[in-house]
Amino acid sequence: MLSRKLIMAAVGFSGAALLMVPGTIMAENAKPKVLKPCMQCHADTPDNGIRGKLGSVSMKAETIKVDTGGASWLVNFDEDTDLSGAEALNKIPAGKEVLITFYEEDGALYAESVDVKQPAKLDPAILIKIDELAPLIEQGPEKGNFAIVDARPGKLFLEGHIPGAISIYDAQFDKNLDKLPKNKDNLLIFYCGGPT
Amino acid sequence: MPAWKKAKKPLYSSSKSLKKMMETETPVVLIDVRDAESAKAAHIEGAVSIPAAQLAEAKERFPSIKKAPIVLYGADTKAGLESFQQVRDWGYMNTTVLIGGFEGWQKGELPVATGATATEIVYVPKPRAGSVDIASFAKAIDSKTTDVVILDVRTDDETEAGKIAGAIAIPAEEVVERLDEIPKDKQVYIHCSTGIRAEMAYVALKEKGYKASFLDANIEVSDSGSYEITEKE
Repeated sequence: MLSRKLIMAAVGFSGAALLMVPGTIMAENAKPKVLKPCMQCHADTPDNGIRGKLGSVSMKAETIKVDTGGASWLVNFDEDTDLSGAEALNKIPAGKEVLITFYEEDGALYAESVDVKQPAKLDPAILIKIDELAPLIEQGPEKGNFAIVDARPGKLFLEGHIPGAISIYDAQFDKNLDKLPKNKDNLLIFYCGGPT
Repeated sequence: MPAWKKAKKPLYSSSKSLKKMMETETPVVLIDVRDAESAKAAHIEGAVSIPAAQLAEAKERFPSIKKAPIVLYGADTKAGLESFQQVRDWGYMNTTVLIGGFEGWQKGELPVATGATATEIVYVPKPRAGSVDIASFAKAIDSKTTDVVILDVRTDDETEAGKIAGAIAIPAEEVVERLDEIPKDKQVYIHCSTGIRAEMAYVALKEKGYKASFLDANIEVSDSGSYEITEKE
C-alpha cells in the first residue's frame, strides 16, 4: 500500500497537482533511486538512473514500474527507449533487477534506456569442485595447507559441518576476521548452505 | 554444503549440539559403534550400541524416515568415520559423526550412562520446541489483532527487498541488543526465510521472558509484502 501511495504522489503528476500538494517534491527527493542491496556493487549509479526490481510493465500505458525498496518509480517509455538484456519489455520477469536511465519532462519521467541484469557469472577459477575438495578434506587443513570456512549460522555448524571447517557466520564475518588463518598464501575455501 | 552432502561426503557434528538436542528433547538417533563391551562400561545417554562390524546386519533396525538425524560415535572421531559411509549410503542424509567420539564427550564432562544400552532404535519426529505450524502463522499475520506482532529476523538487505506489512525487522544477530524495539506484552511470531535464524531469535527472546514462537518453514516475501510459505523438505 505504501509504495502505491508513493507512486501516486511522486510520479506523473502535472504542475497543478504539485502545487496542490506541496509536500510531494520533498517526498520525491527522499525516495531512494537505488535499491539498497544493489548498492553493494553499484554505488556509482548516475543521477539519472533508477536501479531496482521490476514491478510491472504496462504495454498499453507504456509505463514501467520499478521498486527501489519501500518506494516505486513509474517511468514512461516509447519505441526510442533502448532495451538491453531482454527481448522485449513485457518479457522481463517481475522482480528482476533493472537499471533505467531517464530524463524528466513536465514532472514525468521518460526512460532513455532499460538495462536488465544478467545472471552473475562466477569466475570458474575461484570455484572448487567436490572432487577437488574431498582429497583436501581428507588430508586436513594443516597438511593440505588450506582453511575452510562454514559461513552458515553457528548453530548449523554445530549440527553438522564439513570436517576441518571453522565457523564464521556470514552476517558477522567482518567482526571475525581474526578467525581467518594468518597465512594469506594458503588456499581459503568458503561454503554455505544455499538459503538459510 | 548441499553439494557436499549430496556427494555423501562425511559431516561432523559437535558435542555441544548433541547436548543441546538432549536438553531440548529433540529426537535424534545416537549410535555407539564401539565394541559392545566398551559401550556397556560407559556410553552416551540415549545411545544404542551397534558395533561397527555388525552395522550391516542392523540396517533394518534403522528408522524408515531417511531425514532422521543420526549421530554416530566411535572411540574418537576417526573411529566413527567408517560407519558414517555405510549409514549415509543407506540414504540417511542427516547422518553425522560426533567430533571427538566418546573420548571427546568424556573430556567435556558430559553425562554418560553405564550398563546395557537400549537395543531398539526409536525415532519419532516432533516439531521443534517453540515452532508454530504454517496455518497458525498465517493466521497470526492475517488476524491483525493488537496483541500479535511479527518479527522478521532476516538481514537488512533481505527485508529491504520486501517484508510483511507491520512486521518489525531486526536481523537475528542483533535481536539481543535491540530488545527495547520488541513489545514484551505481545505474542511475537518470528520468521526468517527457512526457520533457522528465526529459531535462534526465538531462543534468545524466550530466555528474556518474551512470549514468542517461530515459523519452522520456508517463507518468501515479495516486495509488495505478500508472502508464500512452504513446508521444509
